[in-house]
Order: sequence, then C-alpha cells, then structure tokens
Amino acid sequence: MSEKPVKGSRRVFMTGNEVCAWAALAAEADIMYGYPITPQTDIMQYWTRLAPKYGRKFLQTEDEISAGFTTVGGVIAGKRAFSATTGPGNTLFQEPMSMAEMMRIPTVVIIPQRGGPSTATVIYSQQEVTMTTFGGNGEGFRIVYSTAGHQDLYDYTIKAFNTAWKYRFPTFVLGDGYQAKMREPLTIYDPAERGIEMVKTEPLVGLPGTPGVDRPVQYLRNTYNTEEELYDVVMSIAKDYEKAAPEIMEWQDFDTDGEMDVLILAHGVVSRAAQGALPLLKDAGIHAGHFRPITLRPMPEEQMRQAAAKAKRILVVESAYGQFLKLVKEALYGMDKPIDTLLRPGAGVTAEEIVHRIQEGR
Amino acid sequence: MTREKVALAPHMPKCWNPDTKPHKFCPGCGHGLALKMLGEAIDELGIQDKVVFGCDIGCSLLAWDFFNVDSVQTHHGRTTPVITGIKRARPEIIGIAYMGDGGGYAIGAQHLVNSATRNEKVTAILINNTNYGMTGGQMAPTTLPGQKTETTPYGRDPKETGYPTLGPEMVAAIAREGAYVARGSISNLRQLKKYLKKAIQNQMDGNGFSFVEVLSSCPTNWRTNAEATWSFVEKDMAEYFHVGEFKVPGLKEEK
Amino acid sequence: MRIVEAFVGEYASGKSENAINRSLELLAENHKVTLVDLDTVEPFYTLRPLKKDLQGMGLNVIAWSPEETMGLGEAGSLLRQEMIWALKNEGSIILDIGYGVHGANIFNLIEGATSDPDLKVYAVVSTARPMTATKEDIVEYIKDLGKVDGLINNTHLGNETTPEVIEEGSQIVTEAALELGIPVIYTAVSQELAHQFPGTDKMGNPIKVIKRFMPQAFW
Repeated sequence: MSEKPVKGSRRVFMTGNEVCAWAALAAEADIMYGYPITPQTDIMQYWTRLAPKYGRKFLQTEDEISAGFTTVGGVIAGKRAFSATTGPGNTLFQEPMSMAEMMRIPTVVIIPQRGGPSTATVIYSQQEVTMTTFGGNGEGFRIVYSTAGHQDLYDYTIKAFNTAWKYRFPTFVLGDGYQAKMREPLTIYDPAERGIEMVKTEPLVGLPGTPGVDRPVQYLRNTYNTEEELYDVVMSIAKDYEKAAPEIMEWQDFDTDGEMDVLILAHGVVSRAAQGALPLLKDAGIHAGHFRPITLRPMPEEQMRQAAAKAKRILVVESAYGQFLKLVKEALYGMDKPIDTLLRPGAGVTAEEIVHRIQEGR
Repeated sequence: MTREKVALAPHMPKCWNPDTKPHKFCPGCGHGLALKMLGEAIDELGIQDKVVFGCDIGCSLLAWDFFNVDSVQTHHGRTTPVITGIKRARPEIIGIAYMGDGGGYAIGAQHLVNSATRNEKVTAILINNTNYGMTGGQMAPTTLPGQKTETTPYGRDPKETGYPTLGPEMVAAIAREGAYVARGSISNLRQLKKYLKKAIQNQMDGNGFSFVEVLSSCPTNWRTNAEATWSFVEKDMAEYFHVGEFKVPGLKEEK
Repeated sequence: MRIVEAFVGEYASGKSENAINRSLELLAENHKVTLVDLDTVEPFYTLRPLKKDLQGMGLNVIAWSPEETMGLGEAGSLLRQEMIWALKNEGSIILDIGYGVHGANIFNLIEGATSDPDLKVYAVVSTARPMTATKEDIVEYIKDLGKVDGLINNTHLGNETTPEVIEEGSQIVTEAALELGIPVIYTAVSQELAHQFPGTDKMGNPIKVIKRFMPQAFW
C-alpha cells in the first residue's frame, strides 16, 4: 500500500472542494467516477492530481447517469468508490441512486448544491434537499449529511464512507457552492490517528472460488415478480433503515436550554448564519435558540421536537423555497407551534437578515 | 434417475445454472441459443470463476440467474456502465454486459458509444431481434423498414422514424486499435461461438472494447411460425444486417 | 519605470490578494497601473466582484464583472480581447493568473508575454496548503510552472494566522527558493499582524503588509 496521504494532523487553509478530495484520500477511497459540472468539478481536478500519487483511480464518464452506475459497479466490485455531482447532474444521479437504495449498495456521493431549478446558477443553493433525501423512484432509504463548513466537509466525507459501508445505504455529503469554493482553515488528519477505523469493504461479485462449484453464486437484482415479493423486500429495507436511524442521526443545539421566544431551524451553511444571529438577538432582548439537523436523512425528529417544545415560535430559514420546511413540518407534525419562514431560494442568508426577519415578525 | 431421463437430458454448458433450467425465454426465442454459445465460450475459456455477468432490462433480464457466474441485473440501458465500473475497480474480473437492442442502441446508446471510444476492457453482447420483446413488440432502433410493430402499426416508415441502427458498423467506426467488433447470428452457432470467444479473449488479452451483436429471433412478437421465423432471421434481417467481423485486433479490417 | 509582474499560484494561495496590493502600492507611487484578471480556471473567488471598487481607487482593471457573463462559473475560461492585449497598456501592469495544469503556459495567450523584457513572474506560496506544504513539494510545483522569477511567502490560515504560522512558512519557502536558485521576494503579512514584523522575518525576507480585500469577493 502506498504512503498515507495525510499523516498525523495539521491545520491547513484551502477550498472546500479540495477538502473533499483530501478527505476521500484519507478515507482510503479507491476510485472516483465522475462527470464535470460546476461547482463540483474541482473535487475531480484535485482527485486526479492526487490519486495517482497514492495508487488510487479515476474514470471520467460520458454523463452523470454513467458516473452513478459506474460508481455502483465499483462498489459492487468491493471498492470504496465515490462520485460528486450537483444540480442537473444530481437529477441524473437519481436513477443509479435508486438502484443503490434497492440493492443496498454503499455508494458515497458529494453534492455541492448549485442554484435551480434547471441550469440556473453555478453559485450556491440549498435546493437539492428534496432530491437528495427522497429522489428517484425510491423511499428515501439514504443517508444525507448536511455540512456547514470545511471541517464538516472533511469529517463527514470520511464518515460517509463508514456509514455507507456499515449500514449499506447510499450516503450523501450535501454541501453547497459556497462551501465548495470558499476558503477557511481546518484540521486535516489521518482517521486512524483519531481512532477512526475505516469499515472494511466487501465485494458482492468476483468472490474467491468458483460460483456454483465451491461457493454459492452471487445473483444480484432489483427486479421482482410479484407485489408480495417486492413488499417484503421494501419492508425489510425499511426495517433495517429504521433500526439504523437512531445510530446515524446527528444534530446540534445552540442555546435551546430554557424557554425560547423563537427557535431557528436551519441546516448546512445557513446554520452558520443562524448561529451568528443568536448573540445579536440576545442583545436585542430576544431569547432565541437554534437547532441544526446534521443528518437530513434520517432526520433527528425527536430531538427537533424537544427543542421546538421549548419555543413560542419556530423560524425555518433556508436557501430554497420550502424544501427543508417540508421536512420540518413532517418532523413537527401535531405540535401546536406557529412556523415563520425565511426562504431565499438560490441566495445566501446572513445573520442580520435572520435578526431582521425575527424582529419584523414580532 | 432412470436411464431414459439421463439419455433425454440436453447437453448444457458446464457454467449454466441447472436449477434455473428450463429457462423462461419463449419457445423459438434466440436468447437461449445465444446464451448457450456464451456458456460454451465461458467453459472453453475456463473462466467461470472470473466472469461477472451483467444483464439489462427487457428480455435479457431473464438471464439474471442463467449462469453459475456472479451476476448483476441493472437498469434499462445501464449494464455497460455498471460492468465498466466493476472492471475499472477490479481489472482481473472478466466483465460481460448483456443487453438488447433497445438497451444498447436507444436508452443506453451513449454508454455503448463512449465505452467503445474509451476502449473499455469489457465485452458487450447485444441481442438484435428488431423489436422490444418484453414490453410487447414495440419499434426498436433495429426494426426493419416496413416492419409492423405495436408502435409502427402500418410498418416502419424510415421517413418518419429513420433507418435501423447498424450497431457493429457504428462501433467499428468509432472504436480504435484493440477493439473487437462482430455481428453473428443464431442461424450460424459455430460462427457465433467463435465471435463470442474472440470477444472475451480480446478482453482477457487487455486489448480493448469488444462488441458482438447477435441477430436473433422473437417469434412471439413477430407472430411467426418456425419457418417464417428462420426466414426472417436468415433472409430479411441478414440482408440488412451483415454478419461478419468488423474489427479484429492485429488484422486488417474484414467483413 | 515600467513594471510588469505576474502573480501565479494555487487556489487559495493568495495570488489575487497580492496582485491587488501590489497594484495599489504602485498606484500610490504614482504609476499608471493596469490590473488584469486572468483566473481562467477558477472563476470563483477572483477579483471580479471587486472590479468596481478597484476602478474607483484609480486602477485600470481588466476583468469580467459578475453581471456580464451568464452562468459565470461555466464561462470561467472566457478571455476577453483586452486580456490578450493587456501588455500593450501604458504604464505598469499586474497580472493575476489562475492556476491550471498548463501552469505558466497561459502566457502563450497574452500577446508579447514571452518576449516582454520587463515581465517578472512571482509564485505565491502558502505552506498551509497541503500540496505545497514541504520544500520538496514546492520545488516540484515551481519546476512544473515554468518561468518563475521569485517566490512570495503567503503562508496563512485566514483569521487564525499567527506569527508562528508565517515564520514556519517562511522557513520552508526560503529553503525551496534556495534550492530553486531564485529569491524570496517578500513575506506577506496582514495589517493585523504587521506590528509583530518590523523589518524582516526570521529568515531575513522583506515584509510586505497586505490589506485583505478578498473576503469581500465572496459572492
């Protein structure tokens, strides 16, 4: 095995896309498959620069459908395979990812969201939440980490590989164009140094021995004949998913201990604006708290409800026109809490805008 | 087992899965013949432990548990990229992508074209039966001019829907040195097996992309009896789709 | 005296920041200054969003404005005529040049660059970037770039930068420069830390105090 790409641990300064490439290297990813699309492309550019130095591979495919299915193939072959895409590319990825859901193929895909619908902007948004959590003709049997900055990108890209391979669900690192392109310091580290053991990969095909002679044949499929047969398969995936969910869920609370005038719900980079708004609101005499789900699938619903129970009102803030809001409403169903919104599709949100929205709403 | 039953048992390739036989293809369907030649090719090359067989959606799907080799059933048109992904990750595996004309020439055409131009070290086998069999006989890219299908009820009009795709010709035109491209037919099984073996051997030698189109039959959707079926394969189809090798590594191109 | 300097470097090395500061420095010395954005690979985080402000300060800025190019990121490698003819401008010229696998070959796109006697190419290096963290990596990287007349130590960790971070970077960059046989032009220090660096850094490199513009360039 080649030399470790990241030894020990050190403070560095780079772009988010570069962070993802380093994290995938540190996580012992074997191969990346991908198709260029802004603002994802530099993950591929860094990977192609770094990977050969550490004996890792890359394939540039003809489109994102192929990028998704080749990634599926790489994982079936037993390799820690990943891809990255965004926007219209993420749309095309939904087909292969539905196959990964059905066949329990632990793909990892990094998604620096761009503006939509359609081609829109290459800059930033949080408009791929619905597609990434519940896309394709699937049931949302996926794991989605919504990152808020470079340290998150590093930590959760590594974690994504382990979660995917441990629980065998397609796993996504949902970032955005800001995180992809902005520069900030972070600590990169060798996972082993932190006691993080990479979950071992296993091939589904090409096992040792001769199939049908000295071992069973591996027959993999996603097609079923009868309603009953399919129902049993889907219910068993659902059962596994629900069992794993509490172990996978992650979230952060900010100032949610006591009674709150308002609880701000936000995810990803918008959570940073929410965190920034808290001291400003405090100065203005408003007791605000903030709850940030890190996993959007599975959603830490119980934890969100507990925080919401202590607040008079809820404010949902996102860079989309209600995609996260939908997940929140589902999580808080039955609670008698007024929900206000600050929805800025495809546009950034500042702490001041959140403060203004809360003051305006009073 | 009685003597009679042993005597009656048909010869099966060693790598076939006997538990899933008799297979589920319609009587007179060409898939079984093509898969028998593929099975014999695998046996003769001695690679049962190294092959990963990928099959597409459509009738080729029924081959998902056909062989005693590791197999993966994919999505419509996506077998080529899945096998490509496997091969790229594990070059020691011999990857075979098995698909129909819809999967290879319509919904998955971009994958066939680009795997060929990248010279992926995989073997793609495409069954051409001039229609979409599993969905009940609609027009395929390979439907012949004038041929009636459920979506060309008055016969395929090339002015409206173009001419049948000449797959191996196209692949041979875009593939480069090292690629193997041929068109065989279920009406000449010895030749078909030779092509399939060469197409797999070419991958094993690490030369490049290998592609074999197989002229095949679909009596169920053609609504033909045995005689008319063979006539369609051997005359109508063969007239339009020329059987032969289109690209052989190390040789000047031959027809 | 006509000054022509190109600042090249990796993403996030700080080339735009240094190019802007150098342009303003020359402007203060009564040079007529043209600042050219040639960041063709990395359309984000260039000086484009700062164009108007910099022009207001008196610089002639050749760059796209964000509103001019539809789908700016996709059109990242658009050159405009004025960029190709940039060296024909009167006065001093500062080029902010994006990284790409072709390195300094981007000069082939600029009329007269390969024969301009005044052109100096400075590589902006930060050892806080893992790809240029060691002497060996920097030497390899600079050799790949082609013509480079000097290194600029721009090692920093954004808001977390300390004098130790800068000094540690200076040592590595200076060792690389020695091996390459080219000088360290200066060590860049932000205004906030300037008081800790009177004169030179520990390796004896001159100090240049940098005002940070780029955080505003974030869209």
